Amino acid sequence: MSLEYRVQDSGFRHLIFCLLFTVYCLLFVSLAHAHKVNIYAYAEDGMVHSESYFVDGTKCKNSVIEVFDERDGTKLHEGKTDEEGKFLFKIPKATSLKLVLHASMGHQAEFIVGEDEVREAMGIEDQKQKSELKSQRPNPPFTKGGCGGITIGPYIPNTEIEAIVESVIDRKLKPMENMLVKSQESSGKPRITEIIGGIGYIIGILGILAYFKAKRGIKTN
Amino acid sequence: MHISEGVLSAPVLATGVLLTVAGTALGLKKMTYEKIPEVAVLSSAFFVASLIHVPVGPSSVHLVLNGLLGILLGWMTFPSILIALSLQALLFQFGGFTSLGVNTFNMAAPGVITYYLLNIPVRKGNYLIGTLSGFAAGATGVGLGAILVALSLVTTGEAFLNVARLVVVAHLPVMLIEGIITAFCVIFLRKVKPEILEVRR
Repeated sequence: MSLEYRVQDSGFRHLIFCLLFTVYCLLFVSLAHAHKVNIYAYAEDGMVHSESYFVDGTKCKNSVIEVFDERDGTKLHEGKTDEEGKFLFKIPKATSLKLVLHASMGHQAEFIVGEDEVREAMGIEDQKQKSELKSQRPNPPFTKGGCGGITIGPYIPNTEIEAIVESVIDRKLKPMENMLVKSQESSGKPRITEIIGGIGYIIGILGILAYFKAKRGIKTN
Repeated sequence: MHISEGVLSAPVLATGVLLTVAGTALGLKKMTYEKIPEVAVLSSAFFVASLIHVPVGPSSVHLVLNGLLGILLGWMTFPSILIALSLQALLFQFGGFTSLGVNTFNMAAPGVITYYLLNIPVRKGNYLIGTLSGFAAGATGVGLGAILVALSLVTTGEAFLNVARLVVVAHLPVMLIEGIITAFCVIFLRKVKPEILEVRR
């Protein structure tokens, strides 16, 4: 009886200490950063652009990146990131590419650039799509005297229209792209709910352990 | 200090798992009912400590607290760190499940070694000796951990001396910070909760 009482008392005092300590730990959370690497890449104009960073946002400088053919695993290219964690290279092959980042001290991450994206960036259009486009492409309209010899507009070749549209779209999409990169960066960061949840799990798991130990103790007594 | 998935070879991973299972079994055996809340607190502290980031040159390192855990928990460091690391892998994708064994061993074993090296001066020494050995405990925990990480990475074919130098140098500031934190914890516990530091049977 006296033993049981002592056990409970000490358990209670430990619990208070435990709670205080947890609060103390939580004070640090505003400084919370982490240690995991991420890599993000996209293909454009025959080149692959990649960015590497630790979860807290610091860039991985001078880290080795290996490029593999995702299908057969052959190594196609290797290089190092620059001061801003960026690494740029010419597309070595029209296939889906797997980029493996080796940051220092056993940190590793990978990113796959899909085959469609690579092909498009290389300018290899899908054969079927191309022929469809050709058949749809109308003859340049309004070139010469439409209604009764009145000229409506100057002739603009299709390629030029394409270039203009592309540059406008690029300009409009750039902020979106940056936003996506940013949200990717922040989504890897541990959130406060996860941190508190984790502490809860730990206390829960050890609580279960305590339950079983306590049961066994009562049995033997 | 968390080695990512897919870096190490299968034999290294398997060795890590075996050693961790052995350490955890021993730790669970030694875990008494009264000790469980303390293990929970220190597990939580370890879990959060890895989120405190210390910028060092090109890389980033974080607090480990394995020296403190080692001094206070002895063999129970193994189950304590195993739980925290599993949750870190699950929630934050630090390290990974295949490298869980190696990572646990790399951080828990130095804790246990620290316990055997500095247990007596931390608990029995006078104020000055206690503080100094607290500092030593924090620093050795991280230092030995860094060496173990370097040893595990050697098997990937990197030259040991290069890796070891890189890992140990990167962790020097952490060793200093952890030494100070552990020393303060020891002072605090000796004053406020001396029963935690009682020499165990």
